[in-house]
Amino acid sequence: MDKSTLIKTQGLVKRYPVGGGHFTALKGIDLNVNSGEFVGLVGPSGSGKTTLLNIIGALDAPSEGTVEVLGKDLATLSGAQAAKHRSAFMGFIFQTYNLLPVYTAFENVEFPLLLLGKSAEERKQLVMQALDWVGIADKADSRPKMLSGGESQRVAIARAMVKQPKLVLADEPTANLDAKNSHHILETMVKLNKELGTTFVFATHDEKVISYLHRKVTLVDGSIQSDETS
Amino acid sequence: MILFKLAWRNLVGAGLRTWLNVLVLAMAFILMIWGKGVVDGMAYQLNDAMTNIEFGNGGQIWHSEYDPMDPLTIEDSHAPYPKEINALIATHKAAPILIRQGTIYPDGRMQTIKVKGIHPEQEVMDLPTAQIVMGATGLTPALIGQKMADKSGLEVGDLLTVRWRDARGTFDAREVEIVHIMNTVVQTVDRSQIWIPLDHLQEMSKLQGEATVVALDEPFTGTPASAAWIYRDLDFLMKDINDMIKSKNFGGNVMYGILFAIALLAIFDTQVLAIFRRKKEMGTLMALGLTRAKVIGLFTIEGSLHGIIAFVAGFILGSPLFYLMTTKGYAMPGDMDDYGMALGNVIYGRYGPDLLIGTTLLLFLTVVLVSYLPTRKISKLTPTDALRGK
Repeated sequence: MDKSTLIKTQGLVKRYPVGGGHFTALKGIDLNVNSGEFVGLVGPSGSGKTTLLNIIGALDAPSEGTVEVLGKDLATLSGAQAAKHRSAFMGFIFQTYNLLPVYTAFENVEFPLLLLGKSAEERKQLVMQALDWVGIADKADSRPKMLSGGESQRVAIARAMVKQPKLVLADEPTANLDAKNSHHILETMVKLNKELGTTFVFATHDEKVISYLHRKVTLVDGSIQSDETS
Repeated sequence: MILFKLAWRNLVGAGLRTWLNVLVLAMAFILMIWGKGVVDGMAYQLNDAMTNIEFGNGGQIWHSEYDPMDPLTIEDSHAPYPKEINALIATHKAAPILIRQGTIYPDGRMQTIKVKGIHPEQEVMDLPTAQIVMGATGLTPALIGQKMADKSGLEVGDLLTVRWRDARGTFDAREVEIVHIMNTVVQTVDRSQIWIPLDHLQEMSKLQGEATVVALDEPFTGTPASAAWIYRDLDFLMKDINDMIKSKNFGGNVMYGILFAIALLAIFDTQVLAIFRRKKEMGTLMALGLTRAKVIGLFTIEGSLHGIIAFVAGFILGSPLFYLMTTKGYAMPGDMDDYGMALGNVIYGRYGPDLLIGTTLLLFLTVVLVSYLPTRKISKLTPTDALRGK
């Protein structure tokens, strides 16, 4: 694996049991993503983009094939090692934000740092910095139910970015947002990609997101149909 | 440590939901202890009253013919004191009691009674026998209970005609003077009986040096030498009472169980339902890098903290109640001793360390278990399934 290659999948197959048989969501995906890329897995619903994103994020395991992320073969990792791998190197952004409801924005963003054992002082500094990046430092004490969709997603981005991971996986990050908020969030992510060199991998079929991508990997029925770099 | 911090943050963050659950759990905890303490107190009072007042701490030695449930046995139930206990009688460690059947005529109405003779100086039974002192009239002094006095319309100073049959079967009668009326919760030393000095009854019935039962301050070891006497230990004497206590305990345990079920429901709502509702949160935690074991640990600690806070709240809120129950007691509606229970009008709760620690541990272990099991089940889901909340 090349030093700059962050993600490498080979012959990736994912099958789900359905009734007596099975449904094949991914059919032999070969994909390389380099460090610092701003890449999107695009395609219609059911094309396998979220499945691929989950496998790259070590949240799911492939039925066949290999996945290497940051030089680690995910198949060789135990559940605990995979969790540690996610905690250390990855950030996640979900379509429905998935903020912890009883925590404030500050506490939500602070959570990954707690897992990394950062000191209170360091946590405070990093959290406020991350909230600043996404322009929501004034909402640090607000709970998720007090935030709009756009604000919630910005908190989710801050949570994903606070530990400055090498890789951020974003699953339909703008699906629940209006156009203005979508653009704002995408601009934020482009800025973070440029300034911090963080690799972003999106699963999306939103044209607004697609317009920001530097590379577009189109999936159709579990196979890569095209791989275009702009 | 981090899991404690996160669990605490979850609890505080959940706000009202946490405090409502804690309150319900604390109330169930208080009620469980309160209810069981009342039943324990009742059992203790019953046991204590019967042992101290009716039987003596060491049980009794009975004449072999004596059967308290069969009045016809009283006539022949007498014999010279067992020799082994003469020394105990001399040191007031044993109290011989002679029981004879008799008849009194309060207000001209004939009433069958037991006449019991006892040494006024005895210290074995908690009866005010020291009050059986001959008054100015020179008549045989008699002690009766309040129930007997109420039923027969007797008061201190009243003279009462007593008729009895002596050892030869000859009827005789004399007047006795009521010198004291005792308040006691034990009906078996009160209703339909009078207590007079032992030597008077022995002389009246021509049974000098004889008794029907001997109450003991300490358990009797061995077997009485004379076949006329049988040692009855407290297990034998208290059998009916113990059976009644057992039935009360069963009722108490049912109540304890119902309250325990309420507590379980509180925990169930907090943990099981909440955990199933929080699948997505678990998936998020896993995605953020929390291991499966730590997710289980986090939710288990969170549930356990509910329990710990509830126990602290329970002790704080319940202490005044337990204190009042121990010192002031719980007033029973009506006289419970009218129903054959030697309880009096007030039941005092007993809240010993065994009850407090036992209940706390029982509830705490349940909280931990109910927190752990559903989390463990859900955490077996793949993070992607958990994230979907399925």
